[in-house]
Amino acid sequence: MKTLVIAENEAAARELAAGARAYADEVVYATFADPVTGIADKCLVVEVPEGQAKEAAFDTFVKILADEDPQMVFFEPTRRLKALVGRLAAHDGASVMTDISAIDEESVKTRYFGGIAERTAKSITPVAFCSAGAGTFKDAEPSGTDVVETVEYVAPAVTLECVERETLPPAEVDLTAADKVVAAGRGFGSEEELEEARTFCKAIGAELGCTRPLTETEDWFPREAYIGVSGLMLSPEVYVGIGVSGQMQHMVGVDRAQVAFAINKDAHAPIFDKVDYGLIGAINDVLPKINAKLS
Amino acid sequence: MKIAVLVKILPDDQDIQVNGDRTLDFSRAKSTVSTYDLNAIEAAAQLAAKADAQLVAVTCGPKSINDSKTRKNILSRGVDELYMLADDGLELADAYQTGRILAAMVQKIGDVDLVIAGDGSADLYAQQVDIQTAEALGWPAINGGTALDTDGTTVTVTRMLETEREVIRMPLPAVVSVAPEVALPRIAGMKDVLAAGKKPVVEFTAEELGGIAAPTIETVEILAPVPTPRKKQIFDAADEGAIDAFVAALREVM
Repeated sequence: MKTLVIAENEAAARELAAGARAYADEVVYATFADPVTGIADKCLVVEVPEGQAKEAAFDTFVKILADEDPQMVFFEPTRRLKALVGRLAAHDGASVMTDISAIDEESVKTRYFGGIAERTAKSITPVAFCSAGAGTFKDAEPSGTDVVETVEYVAPAVTLECVERETLPPAEVDLTAADKVVAAGRGFGSEEELEEARTFCKAIGAELGCTRPLTETEDWFPREAYIGVSGLMLSPEVYVGIGVSGQMQHMVGVDRAQVAFAINKDAHAPIFDKVDYGLIGAINDVLPKINAKLS
Repeated sequence: MKIAVLVKILPDDQDIQVNGDRTLDFSRAKSTVSTYDLNAIEAAAQLAAKADAQLVAVTCGPKSINDSKTRKNILSRGVDELYMLADDGLELADAYQTGRILAAMVQKIGDVDLVIAGDGSADLYAQQVDIQTAEALGWPAINGGTALDTDGTTVTVTRMLETEREVIRMPLPAVVSVAPEVALPRIAGMKDVLAAGKKPVVEFTAEELGGIAAPTIETVEILAPVPTPRKKQIFDAADEGAIDAFVAALREVM
């Protein structure tokens, strides 16, 4: 079997090429610039002219797909590649299986309704197209040659003119990278009360996120801080839910936490069934006491 | 000018329950508009108002999508007409099948200059129907739009990528999918909802659209994940030493 790996960034190129190697005798890797060597049998570089969107490389990739004739295409799930490889799949009469979490010879797993369920699916087209995020093949090692070829650019029929391009500053808070995550829930009666949660986060070295109502109904948090279905799906070392009832729609986002804690005034809150340690008590009462003990 | 916004109608994820055998129970989940499509409708409505364009909504799915409350929901948001294909052949339809049908609908509607789609659907969130529709139409496409403008012959899209911001200009007709931050969905007033009931809804049949394409992905099973086993040591703050015990457990992992 032959697999074509398409990646924009080095870390993704390495991981996908390594993952591809487990299933494929031949791995070809394609990128736009700064090719990583030693991870595939051949590296193809597609240089998109200045002043154009990278998606303008679509016609070039159509040619690569025809020339290489792989049975599988693995790609890094960036926005650009979702558009570029998605179009390649559409052109080939196929659909992309986006952001797979697991793969075997037969099928792949993807999230359904944001993680409420897992969908097992298989491609029934001659070429299977999958995107896989970081961590999917983290234990695999890539191998390969230093062969790098520049592919002749095929100009598209329609120009996607790039009028401006700038690099963004890194995000201030990245909950996905945090070892410890605290989620504030509906148990917080006012935005002022969140101060105690922030003090708690400082004490234990955690980042603060929230459940859906706190970003949608209340606007106390940016949407990026929402943990759960159609929000963040996290795998922290430690999770603490404060004033969180434990609805599945939130809990699927933190189910992979190594150790989970909860504070809630309602002894019957479903969250107490889904954590390692729970404390029944009102936030206003117990959180200042906990903070005092931790300081 | 005519703008078409693509809309997915599906069960409300807030009301999905998990059965004992890990299958999903949708019986209490009413049909609703996929969350991020509301942002796409708003962005389309704002652009249509600015460009003095007509705005139509296009949706397809199984028969369950065709309920009057959801139709009114869509039509109360600045949309002039709704086009729908409700056919059980589209249950679990993949992105290729959906893109083909939506493209056929856009062609049948006629004179559409710009198609706007949301960021991804609440169920699969594959972020593929925009590009599948564009390829079926043979139109250029850009995703991740956070602002858009048109002069009637081109569309200019500001897009946020993972670490870059780009401004892309492409000729019409074209497809643009938008990130949720592009616009906040409006809260429709009673007057809008009443007016929505009088707006035209055109129902297509699959035959009129050349039929539904063969599937490209086969769903084997859909099951809730097995929950992580937990210790479930619960302390009651009313009891002596409970807070100390909880803090001690926290210190263990600090």
